[in-house]
Amino acid sequence: MDCSLVRTLVRRYCAGEENWVDSRTIYVGHREPPPGADAYIPQRYPDNRIVSSKYTFWNFIPKNLFEQFRRIANFYFLIIFLVQLIIDTPTSPVTSGLPLFFVITVTAIKQGYEDWLRHKADNAMNQCSVHFIQHGKLVRKQSRKLRVGDIVMVKEDETFPCDLVFLSSSRGDGTCHVTTASLDGESSHKTHYAVQDTKGFHTEEDIDGLHATIECEQPQPDLYKFVGRINVYNDLNDPVVRPLGSENLLLRGATLKNTEKIFGVAIYTGMETKMALNYQSKSQKRSAVEKSMNVFLIVYLCILISKALINTVLKYVWQSEPFRDEPWYNQKTESERQRNLFLRAFTDFLAFMVLFNYIIPVSMYVTVEMQKFFGSYFITWDEEMFDEDTGEGPVVNTSDLNEELGQVEYVFTDKTGTLTENNMEFKECCIEGHVYVPHAVCNGQVLPDASGIDMIDSSPGVSGREREELFFRAICLCHTIQVKDDDEVDGPRKSPDSGKSCVYISSSPDEVALVEGVQRLGFTFLRLKNNYMEILNRDNAIERFELLEILSFDSVRRRMSVIVKSATGEIYLFCKGADSSIFPQVIEGRVDQIRARVEHSAVEGLRTLCVAYKRLIQEEYEGVRKLLQAAKMALQDREKKLAEAYEQIEKDLILLGATAVEDRLQEKAADTIEALQKAGIKVWVLTGDKMETAAATCYACKLFRRNTQLLELTTKKIEEQSLHDVLFELSKTVLRCSGGLTRDNFSGLSADVHDYGLIIDGAALSLIMKPQEDGSSSNYREVFLEICRNCSAVLCCRMAPLQKAQVHAPCPLSLASDWGIVKLIKLSKEHPITLAIGDGANDVSMILEAHVGVGVVGKEGRQAARNSDYAIPKFKHLKKMLLVHGHLYYVRISELVQYFFYKNVCFIFPQFLYQFFCGFSQQTLYDTAYLTLYNISFTSLPILLYSLVEQHVGIDTLRRDPSLYRDVTKNALLRWRVFIYWTFLGVFDALVFFFGAYFMFENTTVTSNGQIFGNWTFGTLVFTVMVFTVTLKLALDTHYWTWMNHFVLWGSLLFYVAFSLLWGGVVWPFLSYQRMYYVFIQMLSSGPAWLAIVLLITVSLLPDVLKKVLCQQLWPSATERAQNTCVRWQDHLPELTPLASLQSLHPSAAWPGSHSEQVTSLCWESKEHEAPAHGARLSLSRRHPSWKPCFGGPPSGDG
Amino acid sequence: MKTTPQGCQSRLPDNTALKQQQLPAYRLQLSATGVLSGFFATGVFCLGVGIILILSAKSIKEIEINYTKICANCAKLRENAVNFDKECTCSIPFHIPETMQGNVYMYYKLYGFYQNLYGYILSRSNSQLLGTDVKDVGSCAPFRESHNGTPIAPCGAIANSIFNDTIILSYNLNSSIHIKVPMLRSGITWWTDKYVKFRNPSSNNLSSAFAGTTKPPYWPKPVYELDEEDPGNNGFINDDFIVWMRTAAFPTFKKLYRRLSRTQCFIEGLPAVTRFRGEKSVVLSTLTWSGGRSLFLGLAYTVTGAVTWLATFSMMAAHLMLKERKMFFSQQ
Repeated sequence: MDCSLVRTLVRRYCAGEENWVDSRTIYVGHREPPPGADAYIPQRYPDNRIVSSKYTFWNFIPKNLFEQFRRIANFYFLIIFLVQLIIDTPTSPVTSGLPLFFVITVTAIKQGYEDWLRHKADNAMNQCSVHFIQHGKLVRKQSRKLRVGDIVMVKEDETFPCDLVFLSSSRGDGTCHVTTASLDGESSHKTHYAVQDTKGFHTEEDIDGLHATIECEQPQPDLYKFVGRINVYNDLNDPVVRPLGSENLLLRGATLKNTEKIFGVAIYTGMETKMALNYQSKSQKRSAVEKSMNVFLIVYLCILISKALINTVLKYVWQSEPFRDEPWYNQKTESERQRNLFLRAFTDFLAFMVLFNYIIPVSMYVTVEMQKFFGSYFITWDEEMFDEDTGEGPVVNTSDLNEELGQVEYVFTDKTGTLTENNMEFKECCIEGHVYVPHAVCNGQVLPDASGIDMIDSSPGVSGREREELFFRAICLCHTIQVKDDDEVDGPRKSPDSGKSCVYISSSPDEVALVEGVQRLGFTFLRLKNNYMEILNRDNAIERFELLEILSFDSVRRRMSVIVKSATGEIYLFCKGADSSIFPQVIEGRVDQIRARVEHSAVEGLRTLCVAYKRLIQEEYEGVRKLLQAAKMALQDREKKLAEAYEQIEKDLILLGATAVEDRLQEKAADTIEALQKAGIKVWVLTGDKMETAAATCYACKLFRRNTQLLELTTKKIEEQSLHDVLFELSKTVLRCSGGLTRDNFSGLSADVHDYGLIIDGAALSLIMKPQEDGSSSNYREVFLEICRNCSAVLCCRMAPLQKAQVHAPCPLSLASDWGIVKLIKLSKEHPITLAIGDGANDVSMILEAHVGVGVVGKEGRQAARNSDYAIPKFKHLKKMLLVHGHLYYVRISELVQYFFYKNVCFIFPQFLYQFFCGFSQQTLYDTAYLTLYNISFTSLPILLYSLVEQHVGIDTLRRDPSLYRDVTKNALLRWRVFIYWTFLGVFDALVFFFGAYFMFENTTVTSNGQIFGNWTFGTLVFTVMVFTVTLKLALDTHYWTWMNHFVLWGSLLFYVAFSLLWGGVVWPFLSYQRMYYVFIQMLSSGPAWLAIVLLITVSLLPDVLKKVLCQQLWPSATERAQNTCVRWQDHLPELTPLASLQSLHPSAAWPGSHSEQVTSLCWESKEHEAPAHGARLSLSRRHPSWKPCFGGPPSGDG
Repeated sequence: MKTTPQGCQSRLPDNTALKQQQLPAYRLQLSATGVLSGFFATGVFCLGVGIILILSAKSIKEIEINYTKICANCAKLRENAVNFDKECTCSIPFHIPETMQGNVYMYYKLYGFYQNLYGYILSRSNSQLLGTDVKDVGSCAPFRESHNGTPIAPCGAIANSIFNDTIILSYNLNSSIHIKVPMLRSGITWWTDKYVKFRNPSSNNLSSAFAGTTKPPYWPKPVYELDEEDPGNNGFINDDFIVWMRTAAFPTFKKLYRRLSRTQCFIEGLPAVTRFRGEKSVVLSTLTWSGGRSLFLGLAYTVTGAVTWLATFSMMAAHLMLKERKMFFSQQ
């Protein structure tokens, strides 16, 4: 890292001199070029050490402390502690120093341990041995000692130690296979090519004789881009110059497969490898609750400062009379008299700050952290979120976002592998218009003979049979599947009949499904060996085809082809691809019938592919071969020329038929999506599939329902009209209904009034997002967002990579589109909370970008799960995670935050009031022990336990009634109104404690034996009332009383009493004062004190109870109604069947609470004294003040 | 970690009620009946207690005699620090209209005396008062040592400012015969203060125990001569001293001075009032189980009870109204 910094600096200062810094010259094997070539400039490169750790042994303590005190709260506590140390304050520095020290130490230990683990991993990586060539011999060396220019040998299944230029391989053709699973998650084998002029060097001696230099660009993070040039110096000839591309580059982190060994020369090492450059530490995500908490903290800080200021000013106003400044009974010392007035005032200000600093307690941070940490275990422990099939449970990668799960407004989901199982199954094929359905496979039992086919219509003739076999052969041959004979594959992608011990591996599950499907129809692909593909035909005979060319798949062409030569010498080109890309190239075949079938299949949600072929005569093939060769050898625009060549070759095809593969929906995916939508969450599906296929899937998983009005924003439509017209027309449609409505806080509901679904494809999206010359793009974007806000479901058919690049700045390892959409919504003006869920490496960027990233432990590797915040085994678990866990976490933590502020207002406000009665002399009201222990032990455990186990509504109710989720969205429990209510409640309670006790004490005796009480008794009385009140307030807020709640709640009160008795009962030898001696016991011996305690507790709790009862009766929220709903009735409520939900037309959809409300009203009738059902209606109109029914609205009773 | 029989299933979470958040629990439900009856009961309780308290407070007789003005000349005399040990007497005749039954307690009451100032409260030495180390005056600034460096016992601002007026209650049978009312000094302090928290330094002779220390600057007499009548009431365990040392919570405070059994009064004493610009008075009061004559607690209870009842009735009204309307809707 340091080197790169230096280089950047060098580049900046030497920019004018030369351009050498933009590229680097590497001397292969450190051999100087022959004279006459460029001068040998030794350059310094970093060694091959990977450093992912943050600290070293030496800088750990200062750096860690610095990082910790960068947190504003820690810094604040540090300041308070220092002030207490420096000036004479009424509270001991221990009271704030000890908790702070504890927090800092625990955090430092945790971070140190994590860093130690990273060090260990780095060391293991840096010390693993590498083979490299030195003076013609093979030497082993530690990986970290590798330098740029070294020639490295890598054996099969080894990982490349740095970025290498591929020189030669043990394979004759100079190729090697590589998987990049750990880089980008693609587990397929990719072929890389050795440099033409060096591929002949097979032995160590040969390679040592190589004399070459490589010029290449400086390292950059793009994994798929590399530009370079190699100069090979032959004896006395001019050097041969060859271009190098990414196909010559072997990346660190990738693994060599199916190749015995390769030689390569190191060009980027250590932290300059593309892997290291791509390593980006996950940016810290912060939850909305944390943000509100910080805002509240600032408010409290302001309150604190203003309190201190007020007291300081009043103190000097009050002291302006000398007899008050220095009464005869309390004279000052000489040094005090001589102190500067301003210095004195400032010290007083600081002393007041310290006196009131408990209003922002350290313990809140500790409690919040503990709540998050322990709370996250409930997800991990949840049995219902454990998947028996895969043996996987949910994983919590960060506990910081638990409560954010209860705030989600947008869910972005990947389709393949997330909504669907990514378990492709060959469904049917259509050959020449005849439909074939393979026999259903039961338990992996495959019928290998032809009887396994069910013909839908009449049997084809003899020529038909020929075509049929040709079709099967085409499927068997036209793919890039590799066969693994053993079971050592990374990933469970096995063929269903593992008895045959061959496993197909491919980057595309569709291909595997097709080949396996054809296997069931009698044609088995055996292996690819020495460029011969072997297939087993229906007669159990092996057919061998020579593989001549592969015209590989790309997503622009959307098709692939192979050219094979049969045993009889016939040359075929088989082409397979999306219908839209095949049909234009076809000149013969029953296009219409097949097209009809394809469309039919697509509507059913099947993934379709068309297969075509053409026969080539030898001369034609020669032409093709030359064409391809020329394109492959091109130095410039190779990609483009290849594409042109492919285009030329893949034409005049004869259509054979089409296949349909089903990707089954995951179980309960529909149920989950339905529940999410009912919860007011907008679901966006992002997919790469065909629009029809995707739409069908969306219907199947209830993203779109029958009554959903679909809006299309597709390329086709934009071609007909201009983007502008389409957009504004759509927005008019959407807003027609909700036009009169203020879309303030419940956009979810207005979408339900009339269900809109939007389908948009990548090209259209890129048009909307593309910055226009006149700067009107933001305008389009706004309109688009407006439309999206009013659609409950959006389907994005993904755009092609090229288009993606146009839209967004390239983002490493990402499909920019998903990322872009998520970012677009995230940054829209309402700042909704987004959740992204996906299973593949292509979803990682989206997962990282969204507020909450959820990874599905899928078939495409664990990349997504690793980068996510939460990983779940199946999509269906999202429902419980959001609706139950998220909701509960949110309710718990918001109560935790509010309660903490409340109890500290109660704690500190009497202290503030007391200053008015003690001449602003900073006298504390409570004893030091009480000051220290109030937050640490007397009131800490009940709220911690509450925030862990509280269930304001039962789990079953939450799951059954998703609409309850709406009650907490938009940070509902931490709004300003609620915060101010809690603060005022705290102030009120504090006034009651203080003045209640004040009037008790003033002017009267409170004992029956005439003895009097002093100031410590007064403080203790206030404190006792306070501890009981705040604890009982929590008890009143607790809805779910387990034995633990009873134990902790009553236990902590008991502890307070026991502690006070003990604290006051003994003359503690270590204390310099005995001010609390017998104070508590004396207080309890007085009858009026008991009466006062009971009264003051009652008075402080009364308003809150009253408010709660009134609100619940008059304006109950859905949650409160659910709380009061009798459980008996709910138990008999059947789960919503999908059919029923399909039939739920406008009226019920228009009224989200209607379902639960119905339940409640029935319940009320059965129960005499429940709150009346009318409340339901009141609540609705409260939430939507300007709600106007559009059509099919609720029955307009009294409105 | 528990291992389940099947190895592959070991990641399955335990099915315990705690981990599945299914602990058996009681669900607190605020039903209308419960809430209303709870409120009603609270109201009854508060009203009842309030009325009892008011009645018992009414039965208390209390007389306050403010002697600030009447004894102003003494205060003036005392303003000059030279005269601090000169005697000055003033007497206030007063009449008790009603018989004060039961035990009567005599308090002195100071107005505007801040015993709760931060520096003031700190200015005492507990190890000295415990008798462990008479010369420990570390925390007593600014009254730690006399000018010649002798430690003060008892040191500190609290002890220094002790209330040293002598109040004598006499019964005027007629203009010439005054019967001195017997007063009890005992029982005016907390038992623990007298016998645990305040201890004289161990020595045979009290005056030798305090050898090497000096009296506080404002005191006329050293601490071992506070009570001339009862030698056991001298030193740190003097009742008046202990009472003074329990700092009051507010600038206006009463402290128990004497207990007596019969009525009538005569006052003698010389307080230095003007220096702190407060007022002083003597309070004579009887007590009941609920303490002194203060209506506050009783009134607070009564008001709370009344408010609770009001809330109960209005809630009930709202509830019935809503229920009626609901019935109306359900009939429709």
